[in-house]
Amino acid sequence: MNALAVSDLKRSFGGIQAVAGVSFDVAVKEIVGIIGPNGSGKSTLFNLLSGAIPPSSGTISLLGKDVTHQPAYRIARQGLGRTFQIPTPFINMTVRENLLAAAVEGEWQSAGSRAEEVLDALEISHIADDLAATLSGGQQRLLEFGRIQMRDPQIILLDEVTAGVNPRLRQIILGRVRDLRERGKTFLVIEHDMELVRTICERIIVMDAGEIVFEGTFEEVARNERVVDAYLGRPEA
Amino acid sequence: MRMQGAKPKRQAAVNVFFLIVLVVFLATLPLWTDDYWVRVWTGVAMWAGLAASWNIIGGYAGYISFGQVAFFGIGAYATAILMQPGLDWNFFLTLPVGAVVAGLFALVVGWPTLRLRGAYFAIATWALAEALAQLVNAVDFTGGSFGLSTPGNAETDFFYYAMLIASAAIYLIIFLLLERSRFGYKVKAVRDNEAAAQSLGINTTAVKLQAFVLSAALPAVLGGIDAYWITFINPQSALAGDITDQMVVMSLVGGLGHLWGPAIGAAVLYLASTLLNAKFGSSTGYIAMIGALLALVVLFLPDGLVGLVPRARNMKLVRQMLRLPEGHAGGAGLGPDTSGDRQ
Repeated sequence: MNALAVSDLKRSFGGIQAVAGVSFDVAVKEIVGIIGPNGSGKSTLFNLLSGAIPPSSGTISLLGKDVTHQPAYRIARQGLGRTFQIPTPFINMTVRENLLAAAVEGEWQSAGSRAEEVLDALEISHIADDLAATLSGGQQRLLEFGRIQMRDPQIILLDEVTAGVNPRLRQIILGRVRDLRERGKTFLVIEHDMELVRTICERIIVMDAGEIVFEGTFEEVARNERVVDAYLGRPEA
Repeated sequence: MRMQGAKPKRQAAVNVFFLIVLVVFLATLPLWTDDYWVRVWTGVAMWAGLAASWNIIGGYAGYISFGQVAFFGIGAYATAILMQPGLDWNFFLTLPVGAVVAGLFALVVGWPTLRLRGAYFAIATWALAEALAQLVNAVDFTGGSFGLSTPGNAETDFFYYAMLIASAAIYLIIFLLLERSRFGYKVKAVRDNEAAAQSLGINTTAVKLQAFVLSAALPAVLGGIDAYWITFINPQSALAGDITDQMVVMSLVGGLGHLWGPAIGAAVLYLASTLLNAKFGSSTGYIAMIGALLALVVLFLPDGLVGLVPRARNMKLVRQMLRLPEGHAGGAGLGPDTSGDRQ
């Protein structure tokens, strides 16, 4: 059974086809990267997978269950967690309260101790009582990643989770991704940082103009002419 | 359940001390003051409860409703109708009826209107309250524009304690549900970012509806007590739009989305308007003074009057009195907690 199975997924906004018939599978415990130029439909694809917006057509299967057209909260309860391209901290809550808010639909009695564990693991205990609104952009991304860990979903979608994050925080996030994968979690990662993609992703899906234009390992992607032309670019002579 | 960082025990003791002083002051008020002041404080208790009820949907959930008077009016009319000759319900039994009817009304109107945001929700709720006022004007069983009388009761102390207990119960409910339970986290998460809340498995539609129903049922109880207290209601008194306006302003002045904000706002504004009205009469000068007070709060205290507490803790004399360490500014329950070191 695949963790995620997407078949002929489409979504248009007016006359623009943001996602144009995308199909792919993600195996359990796999880390798959999604790359592509800006506007290629990567974040729209995440919004479709998480139920934030409904697809125009196509199907989405999560851990063997059809979740197409289900609302976002139901998809989340069935084991999907995500971060957003623009961080979405609960700005009027403290860091600790943000983590607790992520646990409200799960086991509540142990939420406090789990929040302390996440604070320690992400090395943000010293800002636990700070309002999320006062955090830097990198800290807000870290917090959003921490909220996912409070829920313990099986499939995790990370949308540019290390963008604007300093090297130290980046290492913390990557370390946690590896830990979680060892514990059986599946990842789908949107990234522009090719070094990070090369380091953690076992397979890469390349999107352009709402379509998948190539799929393969990092080395295969780096050698593909179409991907190089559309996204990676060629080294200057 | 609510988890916090280490909070100095001294601050917790100070909070408990102030709470005990407040309870003793309010509980013994009729014993050492005259009827006039008991009536004034009955009004403070009522407005504190009304503003706190509005604060559930407006402050905690972030949906600015301009239709909350509808629920106050439903409670008032439920009590007045059920106490009419022929029905003769016991006053206390009418209160839960008003709360249930108001809650059901909120459920019905909340389902479509809570899909709207910002000004659209505010306009929709305002229109619903106006529509209800027109409906009450038009039908017979409400007395139409002539209104309804309730059996007289001259016991000033009775209404003071009824309002006080009802408002205290409202604060206890809000404290337990919104400050000490997972429901409170859900409501605040929906307020801060609905898409993120949904991604965490929170059914945001259900949470918003629950908050709206709660914020509707509670003021209905106060409306019922008010109807019995003032002995006569009509659409101009029980469904007047300025009742909602006052709930909103009191919450904003005291501190939006804060447990004690509406109580502080209600006490300050109601007492100020009563005293200024007594001194200057119902003149434009008195209204201008209240307006100036509001402007000052909005300009200099965007968090409301509760924002004074952390500011006060930063003052040297207060720090010495409370023996607070340097750099520690908040976390004592009143006012936004601004404590904690920055990276």
